Amino acid sequence: MFSPWISSLKLILIPLFWRGIYTTENPLLALNDPVTTVFRSAVLKGDNLVEKVEILKPINLELACTCDGNPNKLPNVTGFWRKDGIEIANSRLTVLLENEQYNLKKVFSIHGDSLGNYSCVFNGADKESKFDFYLTAPEMGNMKEKPIVAYVGDSVVMACKIKLPPKTWIWYKENGTEQELINSTTDPLRYKIFVDRNTTKLTVTNLTEVDSGVYICSAIYNIKTSVSHLEVRVISFMEPLKPFIAIVAEVIILVFLILLYERWGSQKSSSSPTGNMMHVDQMHKLTQDDNGIDESSTRKRKI
Amino acid sequence: MPPAVKANLGYTPPDGGWGWAVVFGAFISIGFSYAFPKSLTIYFKEIQKYFTVSYSEIAWVSSIMLAAMYAGGKLSSILVNRYGSRPVVIMGGLMVGVSMVAASFGTTIMHLYLLVGVIGGFGLSFNLQPSLTIIGKYFQVKRPMANGLAMAGSPVFLFTLAPLNQFLFDNFGWRGAFMILGAIVMNCCVAGALMRPVKMKTVQKDPDAATNGTTTEKAGATEGIANLEAGGLLSDTEPKQKKGGCADKCLDLSLFKHRGFIIYLIGNVVMFFGFFAPVVFLAPYAKGIGIDNYQAAFLLSIFALVDMFARPGTGLIANTKWIRPRIQYFFSISVAYNGVCHLLCPFLAVHLGYAGLVIYAVFFGLAFGMVCALLFEVLMDLVGAERFSSAVGLVTIIECGPVLLGPPVAGFLVDVFDDYKYMYWACGIMMLSPGIFLFIMNYFNYKRLDQEERQRQSGTTGLGSVTRSIMEERGAGEERTISKDLEMFDEEGQ
Repeated sequence: MFSPWISSLKLILIPLFWRGIYTTENPLLALNDPVTTVFRSAVLKGDNLVEKVEILKPINLELACTCDGNPNKLPNVTGFWRKDGIEIANSRLTVLLENEQYNLKKVFSIHGDSLGNYSCVFNGADKESKFDFYLTAPEMGNMKEKPIVAYVGDSVVMACKIKLPPKTWIWYKENGTEQELINSTTDPLRYKIFVDRNTTKLTVTNLTEVDSGVYICSAIYNIKTSVSHLEVRVISFMEPLKPFIAIVAEVIILVFLILLYERWGSQKSSSSPTGNMMHVDQMHKLTQDDNGIDESSTRKRKI
Repeated sequence: MPPAVKANLGYTPPDGGWGWAVVFGAFISIGFSYAFPKSLTIYFKEIQKYFTVSYSEIAWVSSIMLAAMYAGGKLSSILVNRYGSRPVVIMGGLMVGVSMVAASFGTTIMHLYLLVGVIGGFGLSFNLQPSLTIIGKYFQVKRPMANGLAMAGSPVFLFTLAPLNQFLFDNFGWRGAFMILGAIVMNCCVAGALMRPVKMKTVQKDPDAATNGTTTEKAGATEGIANLEAGGLLSDTEPKQKKGGCADKCLDLSLFKHRGFIIYLIGNVVMFFGFFAPVVFLAPYAKGIGIDNYQAAFLLSIFALVDMFARPGTGLIANTKWIRPRIQYFFSISVAYNGVCHLLCPFLAVHLGYAGLVIYAVFFGLAFGMVCALLFEVLMDLVGAERFSSAVGLVTIIECGPVLLGPPVAGFLVDVFDDYKYMYWACGIMMLSPGIFLFIMNYFNYKRLDQEERQRQSGTTGLGSVTRSIMEERGAGEERTISKDLEMFDEEGQ
């Protein structure tokens, strides 16, 4: 599928607004003048044929692909663009070989609905080569699928983190099919929201069983909103208490059995004394030192 | 310097029988002692969020626990000398259990520092020292094997505690998990119950030794037990020398005049700087070169699995008649082998990627297991079973420093150079040089001991000093020396 003769592809971005684009490879340069257009190119190694671009605001974005001339050195090839696998109408061009390279570029108007997977495709001599750009809003990764366990009367802290700071964060609690907004006016004694650029924390104190459920943190960007779900399970202290008591009981029984076996064993052999054998007393007696000198044929041994 | 008749305990250690039950108990105790602080790290992220503290603040819990575990060594060896292994281990188990349960109700991070860190750590030290000591009481001939088996507790427990902790955390949160862990740790009390004080047969040849021995019973000194047997056998005047001041007894600074002990101490202190850091940073290193979380965790599992089998295996090898007399060399070679592994690690990682790290994990697991299995066996070999208790107390207190400083210093190296390979090279050197040092110094030590042995055999010096020095320093062929000593006393002692 991917032809070996594409060894490098260039990505050139021309943001027409002063902020708006990050690529996964290079962090955004600081831009001061809103009117200046910035050209930035990234040369990508031949193996990396997918590029993820995170977009914060609606922008006009120029995507450009360059591929090296194939061994056949065809004078021209056909180039076109696809969005989400479907060819974009009227995007087909004939690309001429310039300086041993084929260049293809196109400007796209990107907003919330037009995010997706854009590919530039070179088609020559029945061979097709393409490069994919994934245009998305920033996403929160690595969120736990397992519920957070908390206790009645205790508190719980839920945190969300994202790579690029959003305009704002909003928390919801899922109530059946609806989402209930949580903000500073909703029961300020129990809910505390903390926001710090690209992290946010929701603290719920004085938990009750009703507080179990799914909480949603949403990062609002101009272009789109990213959400993440966190589940909380509130249980009472009785729950861990049961295994606790079971294990402690097991410990006590085992210790008792072992000491009992020892006492039984020593009673058995004390009925057949040998001059040189000394049976050591039970555990509590070990703490007593024996001052008596004469146990001439026996010695107390402390381990 | 008080004599330590290492080879002649005055009784024949059982070398089997109930001894194996004791080994099992030691296995449990040692397992909890080493694996528990490491396995708690699973909870740190959640606790960190809950108390709103930084990662280094929460990492202090583990560090304090390890520090207390090492610092408590001396205290626990005093207690063991006084009361025996069993009560100390049971008390230790209770301490850790109760502190974990109390910590589950904690409301600030300070509570965790005090309960889990300090009290928990001391409780664990009351498990570690007595377990090691009692093996020396029960085993002579098969001691390296017993040591290897007991030390295998650490990787086995780490292997099982890690997923268990994750399970507890998923189902009960950190508070519930702490409470249940407190109960689980109380199984150390079961291990303690197994540590029955050894029944001894008096030595046949000296029936009147018993009377001399009992006078020193009260002393509870570090040498007290030694003198019980040693005094009777060597000379009648020995027991009276033991009643020194408490400082002398409690600290047993006389160990610092012991040649073998000093060699061991110096080598180990340097070694511990580079001992644990590679384990701590293996997973982050793997993730740093692009390996995903599960595969990185799998590396640690491979490491622990190899470690698990390497320890008893090493014990078995160390027990053979070829290795046992020269066990110090074996130890120094294992330390150096560790160093070589670390030095090669970056090359393996860069050129072979994940496969290289797997190879490294296997060889490192082997190396780590070898060193751990022999760590206390060689100390026993050098100072003898009676003084071992005090020796190990001293050694753990002194090793406290490098053990705690090692990973943070390594982390600092990683931060400064932004590359793990310098840290691995530094650890490699930290292990290779003590290995070589130990090898060379023990060569001289063995030579000296052989010299003294030859002198003794030619009968040029009296019973007292030479015998003493040989008894306390000679590690080779203990089985030989036991019977030999008896013969010798027959001839000369009367």
